[in-house]
Amino acid sequence: MTSLSLKGIRKSYGTLPVIKGVDLTIDSREFVVFVGPSGCGKSTLLRMIAGLESITAGDLEIGGKRMNDVDPSKRGIAMVFQSYALYPHMTVRDNMGFALRFAGKPKDEIARQVAEAARILELGPLLDRLPGQLSGGQRQRVAIGRAIVRHPDVFLFDEPLSNLDAELRVHMRIELARLHRELQATIIYVTHDQVEAMTLADKIVVLREGEVSQVGTPLQLYDDPDNLFVAGFIGSPKMNFLAGEVVDSGAGSATIALVNHGGVRLTKPLGGRLPQKGERITIGIRPEHFGEAGEGTDIVLNVDVAEHLGSTTYVYANAGGEQLIIEREERHMGDTDTLAVSISPEAALLFDSAGKRLR
Amino acid sequence: MNFAPLRRAGVYVFLSLAAFISVFPFYWMAVGSTNQSVDIVRGKLGFGGNLLVNFQHLMSQVDLYRVFGNSFLIAIISTVLTLAISSLAGYGFEMFRSRIRERIFELLLLLLSIPFAALMVPLFVMISRAQLTNTFTAVILPGIASIFMIFYFRQATKAFPRELRDAARVDGLKEWQIFLYVYMPTMRSTYAAATIIVFMNAWNNYLWPLIVLQTPDNKTITLVISTLTAAYTPDYGVILLTTVLATAPTLIIFFVLQRQFVQGMLGAVK
Repeated sequence: MTSLSLKGIRKSYGTLPVIKGVDLTIDSREFVVFVGPSGCGKSTLLRMIAGLESITAGDLEIGGKRMNDVDPSKRGIAMVFQSYALYPHMTVRDNMGFALRFAGKPKDEIARQVAEAARILELGPLLDRLPGQLSGGQRQRVAIGRAIVRHPDVFLFDEPLSNLDAELRVHMRIELARLHRELQATIIYVTHDQVEAMTLADKIVVLREGEVSQVGTPLQLYDDPDNLFVAGFIGSPKMNFLAGEVVDSGAGSATIALVNHGGVRLTKPLGGRLPQKGERITIGIRPEHFGEAGEGTDIVLNVDVAEHLGSTTYVYANAGGEQLIIEREERHMGDTDTLAVSISPEAALLFDSAGKRLR
Repeated sequence: MNFAPLRRAGVYVFLSLAAFISVFPFYWMAVGSTNQSVDIVRGKLGFGGNLLVNFQHLMSQVDLYRVFGNSFLIAIISTVLTLAISSLAGYGFEMFRSRIRERIFELLLLLLSIPFAALMVPLFVMISRAQLTNTFTAVILPGIASIFMIFYFRQATKAFPRELRDAARVDGLKEWQIFLYVYMPTMRSTYAAATIIVFMNAWNNYLWPLIVLQTPDNKTITLVISTLTAAYTPDYGVILLTTVLATAPTLIIFFVLQRQFVQGMLGAVK
């Protein structure tokens, strides 16, 4: 298998820049997920790696070779598309063997490769059907099979599960994880669904407006986001954000007043830059990190709705115009109108007015 | 008062009338081909027993095999070339980005507004200078780059999934291979609909062949029908029989391809 490196990759349509300088290294056998909101350039970046979009500037190397101007079929990649892109007039067998046919492989070799891919994906009984006669999940498996038969160095997946229903998506997600383990392949996977990113990835690349916002393992991004965008994007339910103002700063800590909660104070030890007194700060806290009242900085919230999911309960509450989600372990919250919770300094993440993390 | 039944009755009357107006000429043509000229002039509306006689008369006046051969040859070659060129152009216009693409396309659409009558004389001069008069090439050549068909194929190509082209590129196909092995089979409904339209136009074409085809051995079926009507005492039975024969191929093609025709006109990509 093969590693990839992107050095200062840029893409512009005329004067409009869409990828604004991406530097990234993807190791062999790594499952890397590009994630980000619609229009952030993740699919464009994937298509640039595939050779379906030209690279305006920078270097793309696959297996140590510069691939900027190499034909897509000669880059050692295979791609699975969002709409599956199966040739509608060909049977599953022909779809899977099509690339090999054009690569000039002998018929018995093609048949062997197709049979092997069909075995891995349990497509045997469907080989003589047309794509129109298959369900969404089956089509997706054929699209993956078409990629497998080529034995590519790198698999590229462009939002492959977004056309499937919720149940099938979970099933295919597990299938993909199994496939990655079985094939030991380098995979680059694009999705806007952060749950897919968290569950599948060895490494997540969060993109925003054509730039890499942060790269890291799923838990790194979850526990230790670099900025407000990543903190808000990764995690479901989302991280809560509370407005704060620095009232004291010095000696390795900052004291923040929660402006929408009666000015209650939170003192957070910081190792890096200390914010100025009076500076506006955003405090981020995950729904599961709120403590019982009395354990830290207490705030009182008005409960809107409590969702009982069985194992856990999500409380949707508000205070001072801020909407918050709190995860509780109690199965029954009762008909409480208010809820007192605490924020511990360890659980609270601070972000400056530019959205950059203060550590 | 409930007007619904009345409205429904009105719709039925209107549709029946429209159906009658559409079908009656075909019925009359079929009936006429089995009757003598005198019966047709008298307005006889039932089938007669003169079909074989009319056929014998027709065969004695016209080299039917040759005429049909000419018409088929022109229509088939015209259809194949028009479809090939127009679909290539439509594909190109839709698939490739260019700053001047839309300007060129608008210019082409503007050319659609020039009536054929205005083009006839310069076209004839060109054909004549190229020494192509009285050849099938002269009939076929001016029609094969049909602007309407380019427009039709471009519109239809908008429904062609671009990811299929991307998938084919990743699979190692060159652009012409994508066109041949992916685009054409995927767009077969569009091609079927275009085949009917282009074949019918080529088969029924009268004015231009009349101008460029000069010797009887090159005449097409539409020209022969007009020759038959030009006789001092036209034999309507023979004329209507020829019309039946001339209509048959287009009807057959329509019935064979009608399902794809409807899909193609709706822009379906399956």
